[in-house]
This record gives sequence, structure tokens and C-alpha cells, in this order.
Amino acid sequence: MISPTKIWRRQKTTVKQLGLTGTVVTWTKIFVPSSEYTSLAPFTVVLVELENKDKAFGQLVDFDIKDLKIGMRVKSVLRRVREVEREDVIPYGIKFRPTSA
Amino acid sequence: MIKVIGFYSTEFGEIWDKSLTALIADATLGALADAKIEKEKIDAVFFANMLSGVLENNLMLPARISEVLGTHKPVFRTEAACASGAIAFHLAKNWLMANPGKTALVVGAEKLTDYSPEEVTAGLAAAASGEEQAAGLTFPGLYAMMAQVYMQKYKYTEENLAYVSHKNHYHGTLNPKAHFRRPVTIDQVLKSAYVAYPLKVLDSSPISDGASAVIVTSDESLAKRSSHAVSVLASETATDSISLKGRTRLDGIEATQIAADLAFSAAKLGRGDIDVAEVHDSFSIAELFAMEDLGFWKKGSAGSQIRDLATMIGKGGKLTVNTSGGLKAGGHPVGATGVKQIGEIYLQLTNQADRRQLKKVKYGLTHNVGGSGGVAVVTILGT
Repeated sequence: MISPTKIWRRQKTTVKQLGLTGTVVTWTKIFVPSSEYTSLAPFTVVLVELENKDKAFGQLVDFDIKDLKIGMRVKSVLRRVREVEREDVIPYGIKFRPTSA
Repeated sequence: MIKVIGFYSTEFGEIWDKSLTALIADATLGALADAKIEKEKIDAVFFANMLSGVLENNLMLPARISEVLGTHKPVFRTEAACASGAIAFHLAKNWLMANPGKTALVVGAEKLTDYSPEEVTAGLAAAASGEEQAAGLTFPGLYAMMAQVYMQKYKYTEENLAYVSHKNHYHGTLNPKAHFRRPVTIDQVLKSAYVAYPLKVLDSSPISDGASAVIVTSDESLAKRSSHAVSVLASETATDSISLKGRTRLDGIEATQIAADLAFSAAKLGRGDIDVAEVHDSFSIAELFAMEDLGFWKKGSAGSQIRDLATMIGKGGKLTVNTSGGLKAGGHPVGATGVKQIGEIYLQLTNQADRRQLKKVKYGLTHNVGGSGGVAVVTILGT
């Protein structure tokens, strides 16, 4: 399990990146993931430059494959970010979806 | 002048019958025998490893090395992910410069194949930032993200990358200690399964076990007695942010540029002087970055230059790259890699590289990268 303290600590920065639009700087699709992400694979990850000039990593969701490219416009949304056991604190974090969706 | 006077490497690959400590012992005793010196001659040990603590709850390896050598001499451990080996060598060189008349052992080792690819992938991801890990990014994923920027900017396709694997697998067929000793065609690379788009299995270095060791000395009389001694002309290292977020550019590795400029300046050599190089081809894209960032090829040109295969053995080019098979075919036991690269250049410069021996080689270079470019080490050796 992930320590609730770590989740709490990370959420202090996550909240500042929520609901922002930005541009995809680069992307990849992960076919062979780390053990904690096996059930999600394959999945797409983007590096985004946000409107406030910060950069953020997140998985891309709710998109059409034909729209996926460097320069694509996206918005940050709150999503569950990993699989956990029933009794664990659910780790929420940033994912991205196209602004057009 | 600091000299390398001996080298030994175990085979790289899935070495089921050997533990991490047994691999370290094999490499250490092999290097001592190669240098024709007794273990009592070693004044300090510099040891490189990344994942023993993460994967097998195995730490305090300096004390295990003390057992292997039967010594009370100091043993220092380095960890800089995939650059651990060259960092250990760098520290040994500095230690020897401060201690004339002494001799050091540099040994790098890694034991990975006892674990599943997912467990090793998770372990290697420890060399990425917490945010990168939390997004589900893996090590291949980070290089894939950089490859995407490079390919789009300079208009290359996956085929341009495939030539790196084709070349290095050919070199692997000439190295009896390489993890893979079979050739691969461009078509086979292109048809292999994706790991992290656009990188495929045959763009990626494997998960390997192995250990490599070199003996380095500041003892001039010992170096003079050695039948095979090469000089360490430079060993320089530079760093950058752990996350791709903090980099000024993603179409290459800036730490490599900085370390290379420092190393060429310290060695008082130009790029054109280098005859043979072992560069960090953890992924095909990484060799293209290396050729540009080390200053051998113009920025943005590596994707087309690699297609000439001028850096392949037998092509008659001035500079030949990754004669060992590189990380791609030679194998990548993380902590051992940087030490093996130095060993391969040592073999080339002392005419001991057997079927892959190049003619008239005077200067050689190694380039070892940690993480997605957070640490780079450039070492230059000469006869």
C-alpha cells in the first residue's frame, strides 16, 4: 500500500495543477508497465506544459487516437491513479483529457 | 599518470547459477589474474551497483567484498543508476590522484534475472522522479518521450533508430561474453513488440546479470612492469534534473555535452582523435543522442548518419562505436555496464579484443548515462 502520508503530501501540489489547460510537449504509450500498473496497460502518458508554464506528467484519458500528437491541447482532471487494495486510501491525482472532449 | 593494468568481465546474460556475490568474486579474481597481481596489492575498492537493496534486500556489500578479498582495506559503494560503474571508476581515479603509488580495484555488478520483468521495471523506475513514476512512466517510457521529440523535430522514423540495434547486434556476434550473439535485421527490429511507443523490444537493452572489474594504479613501477597498460587521460561527470520536466531540451542529453566538453579539454584531444568508443545505447535512440551530444555528429544528423553504418566494425570508418555489442547486444547488468565499457576500450587499445579487434587504435572513449540523463560520465583512455 502507499502511505496515506505520502498521498496527503502529494495532494498539496496536485490541487494546484487541477483544472488547468495546457499543451502536450511529448507522449508515449506504455506497453510494459511497472508491477503496480499492470492492470491499466497499455496506457498513454503525456508531458504537458500548463497555462501557468509549470510542467506536469499524467496519463491521457477520454481521447481519440487520431487526435493524439505533440501540440495537442489538454485539460487536467482528477482521477484515481493506481490500483490499491480495498482497505487502502485511494490515491487520486492528475490525468489529462483533450479540451475538445 | 593513472593507468588501467587489468580487466575481467563475466559473461553477461541470465546467469542462474551465480549470486551477486559470486559474480563480484569472479570479476574481481579474474581482473587480479589479468593484471598479474596478488589481492594484497589492492589498496582500495570502488564498487558499483544499483538494485541489490531494492530487489533482494541485500546491502552492506562492501563487507561482502571484504570477505571475497580477505581484506580490511576500504571499500566504497557508488549508486548513480546505470552510470554507477563509470562513477566508481571516476572516484577511483580521483582517489589514486590523491594517493600516489597505490592500486585500486573497480568492480561493478548486478543480479536482475531472479525477478520478473515487472519487478525489475519497477526497480529501475526508482531512477525516475516520483511524479514520473506516479504517472506510470517506466524507464523505456522516458526515453520514448525523448525519442518522440527528436523524431518529430528532425523528421525521422522508427527505421532510423533500428540501424543502431542492427549494428550493435552484429558486434555482439563477435563478443563471446555478449548477452545476445545473434544478428538482427532492420525488419526484425521494426516487427518486434512495443515496450513504450515508439521503442520496441529490439530497440531496448536487455535485463542482464553480470560483473566487470578493472585494476587501476598510480604506482608507476607496477604500471611499467605491466605488459598491457593504458593511460586514463580524462574522466569527467556532469548532472541534470532527475525529471524530464527540468531539462532545457528533450532532443538529447545536456549532461553528456557538458561531461564531454570537460573530458576532451582535460585530455587535450579533439573529437577526431578518437578511434573507438563505447557509448550508452540503453535504447537505440540513446546512441543517436550520444553521437550528437559527445560532439561526433552534428545535432539532428545522427538519424540519417547511422544509416551509413560507418561506425560498424569492418566498414573502415575512422571511429567505430560499441564494439562489445553495446548495452543493446552486450547486455546491461546496470552496475557493471560502465566498468565493462572501460574494459572494452582497454581490450581494444591493448590488442586483446580478438575477433572484434580494430586496427591502429590509439585513443578510446566511454560514455555512461544514469537515469534518463540525470548523470553522465565521459572517460578517455589512450596508449
